[in-house]
Amino acid sequence: MAQAATDTIEEMEARPSPSPLRLALRRLLRKKLAVAAILAIVIFYGAGIFAPLVAPYSYRQQNLDRDLEGPSLDHALGTDRLGRDMLSRVIWSARTTVIVTAATVLTGGIVLSVGLGLLSGYLGGKMDTLIMRVGDVFFALPGLPMLILINATMRPRVVEAARWVEDHTGIEGIVSSGAPDYFLIFGALSLFAWVGGARVIRSQVLALRETEYVQAARAMGAGAWRIVISHLLPNVSNIVIVGVSASLGAIAGSEIALTWFGVGIQPPTPSFGALIFDASNPRVINAHPHLLLVPGVAVGVLIFAFNLLGDALNDVLTPRAR
Amino acid sequence: MQGILTYTLRRLLWAPLILLAVTFIAFSITRYGPGDPISVISGQFRDPEAFERVRAEKGLDKPVVQQYGIYLKNVFLEGDLGESISIYRGVPVWEIIWPRLLVSVQMGLIALIIAFALGIPVGIYAALRQGTWVDPFSISTFLLFQSIPALVAVPFLVLIFALKLDWLPVGGWDGPTVELAGQKIALGILSKSIVIPALALSLPAVAGIARLTRATTLAVLGEDYVRAARAKGLSEFTVVSRHVARNALLPLVTVIGLSLVTLLEGAFFTETILGIPGIGRLAFQAVTSRDYDVILALVLMLGVAFILANILIDIAYTFIDPRIRYERREAT
Amino acid sequence: MNRLVLGILGVVAALVIAIGAVFILIIARDGDEEEGAEPQRTEEAEEPRQAGELRLSGADPITLDPALATDAASAAYIVEIFGGLVTLDRDLNLVPDLAAEIPTRENGGVVDNPDGTVTYTFHLRPDALFHDRRPVIADDVKYSLERAVDPRTGSVVAETYLRDIEGARDMARGRADEISGIEVVDDLTLSITIDSPNAVFLYKLTYPTAFVVDQRQVESNPRNWTRKPYGTGPYKMKEWRLGQRITLEANEDYHLGAPQVKTVRFLLAGGSILTMYENDDIDVAGVSVDDIERILDPSDPLNLEYVSGDELAIDYIGLNVNVPPFDDPKVRQAFAHAIDREKIAEVILKGVIPVADGLVPAGVPGYQGPSHALEFDPEKARQLLAESTYEGPENMPTITLAESGGGATVGPTSEAIIEMWRENLGVEVEMQQAEAATFFSDIDQGRYQMFHLGWIMDYPDPENVVDLLFYSTSRQNNSRYSNPEVDALLEQARGELDQQRRFELYSQAEQIIIDDTPWIPLFFSRSHDLVKPYVKGYIFPPIVIPRLRYASVEQ
Repeated sequence: MAQAATDTIEEMEARPSPSPLRLALRRLLRKKLAVAAILAIVIFYGAGIFAPLVAPYSYRQQNLDRDLEGPSLDHALGTDRLGRDMLSRVIWSARTTVIVTAATVLTGGIVLSVGLGLLSGYLGGKMDTLIMRVGDVFFALPGLPMLILINATMRPRVVEAARWVEDHTGIEGIVSSGAPDYFLIFGALSLFAWVGGARVIRSQVLALRETEYVQAARAMGAGAWRIVISHLLPNVSNIVIVGVSASLGAIAGSEIALTWFGVGIQPPTPSFGALIFDASNPRVINAHPHLLLVPGVAVGVLIFAFNLLGDALNDVLTPRAR
Repeated sequence: MQGILTYTLRRLLWAPLILLAVTFIAFSITRYGPGDPISVISGQFRDPEAFERVRAEKGLDKPVVQQYGIYLKNVFLEGDLGESISIYRGVPVWEIIWPRLLVSVQMGLIALIIAFALGIPVGIYAALRQGTWVDPFSISTFLLFQSIPALVAVPFLVLIFALKLDWLPVGGWDGPTVELAGQKIALGILSKSIVIPALALSLPAVAGIARLTRATTLAVLGEDYVRAARAKGLSEFTVVSRHVARNALLPLVTVIGLSLVTLLEGAFFTETILGIPGIGRLAFQAVTSRDYDVILALVLMLGVAFILANILIDIAYTFIDPRIRYERREAT
Repeated sequence: MNRLVLGILGVVAALVIAIGAVFILIIARDGDEEEGAEPQRTEEAEEPRQAGELRLSGADPITLDPALATDAASAAYIVEIFGGLVTLDRDLNLVPDLAAEIPTRENGGVVDNPDGTVTYTFHLRPDALFHDRRPVIADDVKYSLERAVDPRTGSVVAETYLRDIEGARDMARGRADEISGIEVVDDLTLSITIDSPNAVFLYKLTYPTAFVVDQRQVESNPRNWTRKPYGTGPYKMKEWRLGQRITLEANEDYHLGAPQVKTVRFLLAGGSILTMYENDDIDVAGVSVDDIERILDPSDPLNLEYVSGDELAIDYIGLNVNVPPFDDPKVRQAFAHAIDREKIAEVILKGVIPVADGLVPAGVPGYQGPSHALEFDPEKARQLLAESTYEGPENMPTITLAESGGGATVGPTSEAIIEMWRENLGVEVEMQQAEAATFFSDIDQGRYQMFHLGWIMDYPDPENVVDLLFYSTSRQNNSRYSNPEVDALLEQARGELDQQRRFELYSQAEQIIIDDTPWIPLFFSRSHDLVKPYVKGYIFPPIVIPRLRYASVEQ
């Protein structure tokens, strides 16, 4: 890790060859697994974003006469116990995953962990201690039980607030689109997600702080802000990228888990957690394994792709020991 | 060494404060949130006056801060963790927790052992074969396991091994039992009940351990003394086992503590789906039935464990990268 | 290098100490039971059945204190271990338990006093004993009833069931130290005075809150007596391992006849009940809707062991009549007519759950309710909606159906119903999943427009549904229904002493309520079980009553 920092600084110093990012990208694309992973993610996110266009049926359309069927021409991936088309449900659920991962990463994954990590590492002293101790508190709280309680406490108020907005601004369908749920979930996930990343970034910053490069900049009178933005930030960006792609998988997994428990996305908003929950009775899936396999494979592939990508990025952005 | 000691001490001194913050947050969320154990056990009985009376009897009508003070006094001065209300009414909290803790520990230990037993050799092997297809392939295989959420993996394992092949039980926690302090604990670790949870918990962890091992092994492989050993003509095996392994494995020790605790907390789904009486499931039960004292006791326990694990990890970081200093610096 | 080694050693040592400390703490704890017991090794799941022993699957009780129990799981054990003055027999008839006979007006046991109160006089059986062989006397009964309403006991239900007794409410509120309406005449005679004539008072005494507990035991061991309680019931508690099992053994001195099954073992853990039954680990098993298809198939050997019976419970959707749009009766009726319950019962419930044709579940002895619940008629539904104040689906406000649950989705039944409303009425209803912990109090506060709920009857009398849930000022009236015509009928029925006439009055009231539709009745309940052929006389009563003593086991 420390080596990575020195190397990239030197690399930066050695311009004007193509930027390290572009180099890294080229190396990345040479890895077949990484390309496959990127492809899978693009397909998944594409299906999610264009769900209304791509899904043959709606998420909730029932047909009690055709329940629990296996794959057929009408229903490529079969139907569930209320006759709903599995393929469509998967596509709509993908959309939820897209929204939640994007939102959570942008807030907790990037803004919070990078911001607090930089602040903590660079400023040191009391600020550092404060941030790190607060992080300890969040780290020590058992996530899932707390999220259940937080959800129970906050959800009614968030829904109320959403309805207030609906009534006063005339915008319809805020609540039914699932917006309050998304808000709660990614807010809650961010609360607990920032600690790990912040710590890693902080230790990186601590190491960087002592380099001659930064010392020199300080000696030359560069303000703290400038140092942070132009010297520290680019050097932690590698870690950030790797961290983000790795945590995407974890975040998707957390959302599914929370929804499965009933404290995440609420019905009728689609979610993989709901699909998997429908398939958690062993005897039901014994008779109809596609109920579990369809969402299971979809989710597994996505998270696997995220993890592969994260691994590949790690390799590419962190030069090996020579 | 001096710096480390003072650092550790300083962190330990913070621990009680953090614990206080953690318990206070948990306490407040439970008290301020909707629902309480009395209304949970009452179900459809609606008798608001009776509720108020029983709540007052249990001291739940006092202001939250006062309740918190009373709770702290009970726990730290008298060692009284309270009693359950909505799980087993009147039974002391510790009595409910410790048998389940032992069950979870059994699962955690086995999962840990398997994860390390698989992860370390795989990581070392991958490092040695760096550059060939074996390297990414081996790690990726385990990455696949890490990618499948427990929610999917456990029912899937049950489907294959219990329902289709009938090799394993569908759930539950069997095994020879041991009598401890008046309760019988089933040693599921010695029975078939352990297989699915052990697999579900250990396989995802293998990837992380393998990666870490690979990274540290790679770092060590580049060191001079390894080259020297090779130059001396020692067999690959000797080089690996005697020189590489020892140094590559050191950082892993830091992961043990955290892994155990994460496993304990993360076995939620496995326990719920399989019907295993561990603390993951207990935590969920406690939260949904708002059994305040049980929730707080679990938060306290897990909190202590996490805080300690945290400190150990931060200490370990100093060994991995000696340039990280934990002494105070003034802000510029 | 040395630093590293030292550091690692330190870390490992810390871990070992931590884990070790936890273990030591655990083992050293709490030795009031078997101190330093020899670690024994017994194979639990493999124990073969002994003769005269019945093995059942059981749910975890929350408590075994009859004054505190509110859930069916606890009640199932309590009714076997404890007893009260009267009880219900296998046909749900009121029969004496600790009392020698049922007091009636004919035998002088019930006296109407000039001030409007009614006094019941109970003569206790001289041969009734506690499990420690101490005879039961009238003082014990008074003590138990007073303990139940005593605020220090902390019961949420005692007042509901015992409040008819004079002075019970005062004691519950801490205004008195005893219940003035209970008088000990002599060791074997007790009189209870209630504040006004009440046809169902004796039924309320069959509920656990009125059961008799052992005063000496409770007072000498207030914290732990429920672990091995001395009751007066047909079975004694032999052993309770929290979360694992409960073992009951027959009370040979039981005054109504010693049970034939000498030992009953309840397995509280263990995974799939059906698997346990197939492995011969238990002798009776409940069958869930997921497995029922297999069992109903005549070619499956288990089909021969299948037993099904009525359960006095109803699954319904309640409508809050004070809140739009359900303040308009036409809207309520429209929603009721738009549900194809037959279809749901057939497809989702596999045809094993009966559609509710009224409010009072089938199976209440002697009661014939109206069979005129609103049928599925989508045309009529749309018409009614058009005739309502909203004139059609477009003007309807947002409607939410609330249901309590612990998982990712509301049940398939609710999902199907919402779809039916969409299809047949053109109305989009939202689902809201509420936590069990807050659901009931939210309904109570009138927070929901419609809610999906169930009701299990406490005793086999239509009053428990029609009056308790629909009388305008009843606390349990969660749809806030208020109809003076219905109220008048109910008040009349309360004072009516002729059973036949009473039932007619309830039937009339029920019909009016059904037409007004504060509830959309959905399904009644049935029990589905498997019983091993060597188990005889094991009944599945529609409500929780003592039943183990009727069973016997061959070989």
